[in-house]
Amino acid sequence: MSSIKEKFNQISPSEFFYRNRDLAGFSNPTRSLYTAVREFVENSLDACDQKGIFPDVHLSIKAVDPDAPDPKPYILTVKDNGPGIESKHVPLAFGTVLYGSKFGLKQARGMFGLGATMAILYGQITTNKPVYVKSSTDGKIQDEFELLLDIQKNKPVILKHNTKEVTKRGLSVSICLEGDYAKAGSKIKDYVYETSLITPYATITFDDPKGEKFHYSKIVNEMPPAPTIIRPHAHGIDVETIRRMMVESQFEIPNIDDIMIEKVRKDLGLAKKNLTFSGIMDKAAKRWKTLSRPVRVVISLMSFLEMDFDKLNKVRIDDIDVPNKKLYYWDFGDSQAKTIDLDSDNPYYKQLTGTVQGETLTAFLTKRFQRIGPSTAVKFAEFAGFKPEKRMGSLTNEELVKLSDSLQKFEDFLSPDPSCLAPLGEEPLEKGMKKFFKPDFCAVIQRPASAYSGFPFVVEMGIAYGGEIRPGGPHVYRYANRIPLLYDEGSDVVLKVVNDTDWSRYKVKGDPPFVIVSHICSTRIPYKTVGKENVADRQEIERELRLGLQFLSRKLAAYMSKRGQAEMAKKRANLYAKYLPLISQFCTELSGKTKEPNYKKLLEEEITVDDQ
Amino acid sequence: MTTNKIKDRKQKAKVKQQNIIDALKDHGVKVYGDLDNGQFPKFSIPSRSVSNIVYDKKLRQYILGNSAAVRSSRNSSQLRSFTQLMWLAFFANRLTQEKKSSTLRDVYYSSQAFAIEFEDQSESDNIIVDLEAVLSKPREDFHIFPEERSSIFGDLNIEYTIPGYEGKKMNLSNHPDGYAIGPSLTTAELLDTSAEIVIAIEKGGLFTRFVEEQVDKKFKSIIINTGGQAPRSTRTLLKRLHDELGLPVIILTDGDVYGEHIAMVIKSGSANAAHLRELTVPDAKWVGVWATDIEKFKLPTIPMTESDIKRCYDLQNDPRYQEGIWKKELDVFLKIKRKAELEAFSKYGLTNITDKYLPQKLELAKSL
Repeated sequence: MSSIKEKFNQISPSEFFYRNRDLAGFSNPTRSLYTAVREFVENSLDACDQKGIFPDVHLSIKAVDPDAPDPKPYILTVKDNGPGIESKHVPLAFGTVLYGSKFGLKQARGMFGLGATMAILYGQITTNKPVYVKSSTDGKIQDEFELLLDIQKNKPVILKHNTKEVTKRGLSVSICLEGDYAKAGSKIKDYVYETSLITPYATITFDDPKGEKFHYSKIVNEMPPAPTIIRPHAHGIDVETIRRMMVESQFEIPNIDDIMIEKVRKDLGLAKKNLTFSGIMDKAAKRWKTLSRPVRVVISLMSFLEMDFDKLNKVRIDDIDVPNKKLYYWDFGDSQAKTIDLDSDNPYYKQLTGTVQGETLTAFLTKRFQRIGPSTAVKFAEFAGFKPEKRMGSLTNEELVKLSDSLQKFEDFLSPDPSCLAPLGEEPLEKGMKKFFKPDFCAVIQRPASAYSGFPFVVEMGIAYGGEIRPGGPHVYRYANRIPLLYDEGSDVVLKVVNDTDWSRYKVKGDPPFVIVSHICSTRIPYKTVGKENVADRQEIERELRLGLQFLSRKLAAYMSKRGQAEMAKKRANLYAKYLPLISQFCTELSGKTKEPNYKKLLEEEITVDDQ
Repeated sequence: MTTNKIKDRKQKAKVKQQNIIDALKDHGVKVYGDLDNGQFPKFSIPSRSVSNIVYDKKLRQYILGNSAAVRSSRNSSQLRSFTQLMWLAFFANRLTQEKKSSTLRDVYYSSQAFAIEFEDQSESDNIIVDLEAVLSKPREDFHIFPEERSSIFGDLNIEYTIPGYEGKKMNLSNHPDGYAIGPSLTTAELLDTSAEIVIAIEKGGLFTRFVEEQVDKKFKSIIINTGGQAPRSTRTLLKRLHDELGLPVIILTDGDVYGEHIAMVIKSGSANAAHLRELTVPDAKWVGVWATDIEKFKLPTIPMTESDIKRCYDLQNDPRYQEGIWKKELDVFLKIKRKAELEAFSKYGLTNITDKYLPQKLELAKSL
């Protein structure tokens, strides 16, 4: 028997996604075509949103050989009037995976621009064609690239690059990929339709491969304010995030090299004289107030190590273990790791430990989290059982876990700041719905911001009834961060809430012509699956949806009963119009008259008559 | 019969017809006036609910109390039935003017010619009763008749008044099967008779026996088969025979609680027709079969059913059953808990009832 040696390889991100393209929605030609459209359109819309430009997005899909049977290669082009991408970023943005500008904490349609690269990657592996990118950031010069991805190295391969003069700003991306428009077509049309409903300030055009053109002009002339990037909320944090934030908060121990030593000498005014250890300390004590922080740290280290510059030059500081009051260093002279005890009575002790321990707990909380003020920070410290002035760097692992747990449990933090969210707003939503559905009745609501696990979210909803809406409702249009969710609606929380509603209570009966639009905005939508098509039933989100729907349902009920009354009045009017002439006819003959009585007066006024 | 009497009678019938036409016209004029004045017309209809039905001891019949309901054309939920009622008045007027008759079922279908809708016949029947209540006249007066099932036999001359037969005379002993009591008979002039009594009998079978046995001749009687509970046309005719010809009426029924009540309805009416006062023969006499006859004549009996017994208890609460033979016989029925049919006399021979029982009872009737 031969033994096979296990090989350990590191793979590149693009290699990883190449192998796991199902994760990003590129599992088959139908789904892939739809996902590619989505990714490019959403990137265009996001880019325009960020810069406050009314989006004008042009999507086209063309079959390379129209007569071939599906699945077959298609050329997908998405062109926008957005800010474009600077030419130096283009190859990286389109030729590598996990490169993007969307890593901050704010709401956007996509997270990392990953999907677009995936689409390019998918196109390349199915058709072996490059991606064409045209970008102009100033509306004068346009950079044109022809790129391929080196999947194994996660590097772009520039096949062609030239520039030319243009008159319009924006980005155009064109890829060739294998798709199945016969199957994906209706979904793509739905996607374009529903996207323009939730983006009423955008103009979206779609040229489909069969020569059909779908055009949705912008309906509103206001853009919702762009979201801002914000600090995290205490409830949405875990141990690893705290550790990373702590490192950011610490000052590094200066690297003691020749340059550093020269700087210390200079700052102490030692010029060329070589002073002894105690001489240096004396000089430092005199000049302490004028010294910079790194210099003070070096002096402090020297005081503990009791070394002059020559000796200091021959060691490397490894670690300062504050809880155990130890200093570890490597001595190049005798090639040994050494340890000294830190005497807390040493006047430089505080300077040194303060440096490595970073901010106090309260400073850390107020500076690095949103919506925590000094008094809340102190209150929290008490709640968590820490001293407010406890240095972050002095926390042991156990304490760190305790801190993280306490941050989750403390209930007096203000709810998350929703300024990172970009709901559409009631007015644009209502205008969009009225334009799209041409209903008899329409009502919308934007719920106040709420949060789940520290992630802020806002629920917007609208109900439209009657008019040109087809019966058989409620028809539910689901959106998350302005993305229409078209698949897997069965297990979605919105559907759950809608289905839980007893519509007969709101005077909605039978096969109503009835539309519900639901939009959830959040820095993190709790999707149930990687396909990002259905939202999990988080209790907080479900509650907001329920309250929103109840509010709208009551408005609908009021409308329905008004409508019912109008219908009743009409019915009654018909009743009188039918029966009064008969009564007239009968009583004329009974009374022996020849002319009918003048009953028309009654017909005119009966609508105002109440039943007695 | 003097010519005067006949004239008188003819005059009476004319007046009756004119009364109906006038009453209908009054309502028509009122509705016309309301409409012309821009007001919603309405009718006041005496309430026919149980709580408004009371027994009038003086009249010896059930009558309606004072409570009435307004049916207004202003109320959209009453508009339809208001129109139906107006139509019926209009239709009744035509029937009466043209001397045509119609059955309940006819009315239901006739409505469709005028775009008046009735859900079913029971709805139109109800409207007919409404009109009876509004006019306080039986529907026969405005020429609407039920389906017929009762008959009459005896020496009685009549003269038809219905169109096509006006002036035609008939003697009601010419056909041994008897004559069906229908609109033409109910509205006919009653000319003269040799009879001195009217015998109303519950069963068709016995009616035939009585004709065969010439009860009409032997006892100078007119024989009427009520066919169970007497239809209103039959009760109208009985009343006319009593009132116009002065004939006493005696009633023979099965020996059970239902028989007793058939007699009572002829005598003093039913709750269903409490809105009408011209259907009763308060002087009519029930002569049997009594509960006490069952023992007296040793008739073959059948045990009473539970519903028979329940009916007995119900009638004990009726004010008309509080005294006399009505109370006594009811008590006996309850005591013996057995019943007997008129045919039971056949045990003693087919003619026993006419030979023995009837003479005894006729004699007894004189003392009642």
